[in-house]
Amino acid sequence: MKKSYAIKRVLYSVFVFVIVMALNFFIPRIGVADPAERYYPPQGNMTDAQYEIIKQLTREQYGFDVSTPQQFLNYVGGLFQGDLGTSFRSGSPGVMELIVDRLPWTLVLSVSTMLLGLIFGIMIGVIAAMKRGRWQDTTLLNASTIMIALPGFFIALLLSFFLGFELEIFPAYTDPNMVSDFGWNMTAILRVIENAALPVLSMMVGSIVGYAQGTRNAVIAVTNEDFILTAKAKGLRNTTIRYKHTLRNAMLPIVTSIGMSISGLIGGQVVIEQIFNWNGMGTLFLEANNMNDYPLMMGIMLLLSGFTILAILITDLIYVLLDPRVTVGDRR
Amino acid sequence: MHKKLFLVGLLAVFFFTLHACSNPGRQRMEDETNTLYVGYQADSFPTSFMPWLSREGIAPTVASMMYNTLFAFDLDTGNFDPLIGKTWYYVDEAGEPLLTDDGEIDYERLDEIYSCPSYDYLPVKVILHDDVTWSDGTPLTVEDVYFSYDTGANNAISNHAGALAWTADLQHSYRDGVLRRQGIFTYDHGAAEQGYVIDEVDRDTVMYLHVDKILGAVSSLFTSMLILPSHIWEPIISEDNPLNSASPQGELLFHYRNPVGSGPWTLDLDASSGQQIVMHRREDFHLKDDDEGPLYKVDTIRFLLFQEINVAIYALLKGHIDVLNSTVSANYSRLFDTHDNIFVSEAPGTFAQTLVFNVNPVESERNPMRDLLSNETVRRAMALAVDQQFLIDMVLNGAGEEMSPGLMPSHMEDFYNPDAWGVIEGDYEARLLEANALLDTVIPDRDTSGYRLLEGDRVGFDILGHPGEQDLISYLEVLFERIGIEIDYAPKGSQPERTYLYRSRFDMTLQTTIFSLQNIDIMYRAHFVTIGETSNYGRLIDADMNAQIARMRSTLDLDEKYELIKSIQPMIAENYYKVPLYSANVLSVARTDRFDNWQVVPGATVFNGESLQNLRRVHEGE
Repeated sequence: MKKSYAIKRVLYSVFVFVIVMALNFFIPRIGVADPAERYYPPQGNMTDAQYEIIKQLTREQYGFDVSTPQQFLNYVGGLFQGDLGTSFRSGSPGVMELIVDRLPWTLVLSVSTMLLGLIFGIMIGVIAAMKRGRWQDTTLLNASTIMIALPGFFIALLLSFFLGFELEIFPAYTDPNMVSDFGWNMTAILRVIENAALPVLSMMVGSIVGYAQGTRNAVIAVTNEDFILTAKAKGLRNTTIRYKHTLRNAMLPIVTSIGMSISGLIGGQVVIEQIFNWNGMGTLFLEANNMNDYPLMMGIMLLLSGFTILAILITDLIYVLLDPRVTVGDRR
Repeated sequence: MHKKLFLVGLLAVFFFTLHACSNPGRQRMEDETNTLYVGYQADSFPTSFMPWLSREGIAPTVASMMYNTLFAFDLDTGNFDPLIGKTWYYVDEAGEPLLTDDGEIDYERLDEIYSCPSYDYLPVKVILHDDVTWSDGTPLTVEDVYFSYDTGANNAISNHAGALAWTADLQHSYRDGVLRRQGIFTYDHGAAEQGYVIDEVDRDTVMYLHVDKILGAVSSLFTSMLILPSHIWEPIISEDNPLNSASPQGELLFHYRNPVGSGPWTLDLDASSGQQIVMHRREDFHLKDDDEGPLYKVDTIRFLLFQEINVAIYALLKGHIDVLNSTVSANYSRLFDTHDNIFVSEAPGTFAQTLVFNVNPVESERNPMRDLLSNETVRRAMALAVDQQFLIDMVLNGAGEEMSPGLMPSHMEDFYNPDAWGVIEGDYEARLLEANALLDTVIPDRDTSGYRLLEGDRVGFDILGHPGEQDLISYLEVLFERIGIEIDYAPKGSQPERTYLYRSRFDMTLQTTIFSLQNIDIMYRAHFVTIGETSNYGRLIDADMNAQIARMRSTLDLDEKYELIKSIQPMIAENYYKVPLYSANVLSVARTDRFDNWQVVPGATVFNGESLQNLRRVHEGE
């Protein structure tokens, strides 16, 4: 990999992050005359004078009493110290504290979904491509059409009702003791696995279909390349051709989709988390939105943006490793 | 083949292990203790329990179970029931009670003494129960009440909007953290200097308050202000470390999360998490039932969080929870018919759903179409075209009641005025004819589709609503089409007051109203008088009605107050400003296989204080 290419990509990502950070700060302030009013809407029989006092105190407490540019500098300064601000919710917890609390639980779901989805998706995709036009392939295509048409929440509700409530194979919703009783022991880990089963299954369905379709199409495209014909002519074994030559070269689009799914990985699946009472990032964002808790919304958005930029950077760098021909901005 | 069999066997063992692990639904079914499992639909559970601050989701419910106000307002009788406070009354200049021979408030003498302009306050004597304790065992005294009111009024140490509003009618004021006027008097805080006699023996239970000279002044003070333990908070809070600090640290944070209250329930912190809240009954709670037994009949309440209502309902049907503390849409009512052991509570609603017209937009928001809404004839025609029964059938599946155009629920017998109905009389078809005839006098021209025309443009209005209100708006569209007026849905967004309502940027909107003796002094003004950032969104100005409302607020004669409330209702109806659409019943569900004797309370779900006082554990074989 060219060193200059990597440096360019890193600098470009930093630049994008700075822009995102600025937008993230200023967009919530558009159209809001006074952020303190978001925290304390006018109430009951309070007089204007009393309300003004409350607003002033709120401005001071949350740092809205200085000019907007100064607020931005304070915000950026805080970011460098890992401080994403203070949430509006009662008890005024730190935004970072709330995110750190929820992020691991979302990662449990998302990473499991991604890994299982990748393994099964690639396996099914390769099989469908190799059996092109036969029942394995048509089954995949038909299943994809159905699964893409089914919304995630519908699959989640079906799984919750049938596998959870009716057959009682897995918990229909998260055991409330799962988080509070968690420890690094086998019982607690097994409890997490069983509670994660249905949410992961719900998310996996779409994920498998997506990866399988992508793999199938990429493998078919690569199979028709001249170098595969050459490999066959050389008398290489089918498994060698399939996994060493075909699949490696078919990985580029899959790597792209993995990179693009990183933001979902961190942001969680709002609806799935809701249905299964899974207290992750998705529900945290929903709570922030419902409570007009925009410091928390800003924190989550910044984190998501940061991870997405990082994921795209890593994807770009991996691209070069997989295919040295790839360069960005090279006009030759 | 062996590989496949091994794989199948491995998977079977894996699933069996998971299946055998645990299932949150089984906990309730296998629980033999006197524990009530309550499902609650919300985005999240709070983890902080400072009662004045916690306002998200279930927090107010939990706070009201752990803490107490002085009294509870009884909507049926209009009286204040004892909680921390045992009794209260107004007093004369010498501190003597203004009570009639049968112990009722003597409004005649109150009026006689205090209607004189030289008095700008009403003195109130409050006597507390002498056996109230905090959950850490410390006795509760008037000094706790003094501390709570004093802190609420002093925004230098508690910039809490709610507390400031609750104490707004208390004549105890601060400026820049300095007490300017004292309106709370206890043995230790100036009662003697003020001329109020409190015996040494009563020093912990007797206090006097000076409140604004309106009969409703005590309402918020008595029923909204949860009393805080001064021994916990007083040593901690200061101007540098105010009660609702944005960055609570140390002891402040500890007490936010470890509440000490005087209510009938305590929080089990070890068993509670972001997804469940466990509360235990306090055996030393001072209020008992008639047999001197515990007032509340369950030992433990376990609130379980459900973020999705369908999952919560299914959890109830499958027996994972005893009761769902959330309202259920009328669309679900048939779902419960086929299930045994399900109690469906359909409590009368206390809210009125209304359609609000923008009758007086600010100059910059005026246009010819909106000017039509300032025409009383047009508004009357639209009010006549509203078929409440149709809306109840279509939107609520029949689970609702018609609401008087005077916006007072009929169960408020003392001051409900049935004459307000007279403003919108006759069967619906006759009313439609009248409505069309009225509109023909103002906007007679119609287009080929039958819609009325104003200067060549179709007469149409947007109704500002939330996505959940689209159903109702689409039925209003059907109703108003019958009088040639077109209706469209306009989304409200997350801050409708700031974005549209306070700025006159709307034609019509939906709004719920609730009026009772407890809030009427505040709410009549907010809904019909005050122009600005209040609930009088359409900026109605009616001088006669305003004068009546002012008189109603200021009179010290309760009978006159009732009469004035009655006389205001037809005035509200005749303004055709907030037109009632219906009052929705509160539908909720509970199971009866572990607990029965659920109580139906107007305006509340079946998980209510009455139920908790009457529940009976059902044992096997019963």
